[in-house]
Amino acid sequence: MLESIQGSALANWMRYTNGAMPIVEATHVLAAVLVFGTVLIVDLRLLGLVDSSRAFMRVSRETLRLTWLAFGVSVITGSLMFTTSPQTYFYNVAFQWKALALLGAGLNMALFQLLTSRGVATWNTQRPPHAARVAGLVSLVLWAAMVLLGRWIGFTKGYDFAVPPGVQLTFPG
Amino acid sequence: MRAFAEWLSTTAPSVAIQSRFWFIRLLQATHLLTAGVVAVSGLMIALRVLGVQRTDQSFTAVWARFAPWLAVSSSVMILTGIAQTLGDPVREFTSFSYWLKLALVLCCAAGTLLLARPARRAPPAADFPFAAKLVAAALVVFWLCIVLLGRIIAYDRAIWGSLSMRT
Repeated sequence: MLESIQGSALANWMRYTNGAMPIVEATHVLAAVLVFGTVLIVDLRLLGLVDSSRAFMRVSRETLRLTWLAFGVSVITGSLMFTTSPQTYFYNVAFQWKALALLGAGLNMALFQLLTSRGVATWNTQRPPHAARVAGLVSLVLWAAMVLLGRWIGFTKGYDFAVPPGVQLTFPG
Repeated sequence: MRAFAEWLSTTAPSVAIQSRFWFIRLLQATHLLTAGVVAVSGLMIALRVLGVQRTDQSFTAVWARFAPWLAVSSSVMILTGIAQTLGDPVREFTSFSYWLKLALVLCCAAGTLLLARPARRAPPAADFPFAAKLVAAALVVFWLCIVLLGRIIAYDRAIWGSLSMRT
């Protein structure tokens, strides 16, 4: 499967189109930091640290619209980057941890929606209960980890690296 | 510029950063995370003026909520940015993206302050004049471009061609 992704027309377009990779990668970074920044607003409200006088549902509804938009862009651009070298990414430890953090954030959000937020009417304009604060803290840690692990993929896989003296690298195209 | 950058790269602070690879990684990671806080705080202020976010709150309330975060995270970004520049001055100073990013950072700082002064005096429910909305729209674009350019520095020549001073 990984080989078929690598040989796909999309992967070839990404690899051989001038400027495609830098623009897609920069857009991915932008989307990822916007996801983190907007999630931070909701998580800090869940932790009861800011926006305490505003209804949680209002903060969540208006901010998460931006989060979902940025998340959609990051998934599309991330998938495009993945096609260029799926085997390298798949076996990259930082990538695996990032995927795990994404899964964890998704589960945390699902648990929050299904269980914790059921009683939101009782604390909508007050300090959230313990379970909601824990959900906010877990979310904050996982999304920050995703941004950092994304950067770490660059360090370990490296599109942007210094070639050691005496080493001759050749690139296709 | 290149000569200055090359000289700077031989100075003690620059060599100290270059020789600590973990420190460069730490700087980049911190810079990236705070970029999220800076961009979103700046965007929230601009989007309030445009009437897209937090319309139930006065501009003063939105400013009080996000301006301190913008100030603190910007300070961290500036410090980590200076340290990264010191760590690899030739790469940064020969990059067109770097200079464009700095120009946009100055525009955003000036634009946000320009927007804040009259807006804070306006009545809570007041709609903003067209000029203020124009500044806010420009700020939205600039904040997004600043983050984009931060990553594009690595690909400066490939993106900008002859505008890049890289060889």
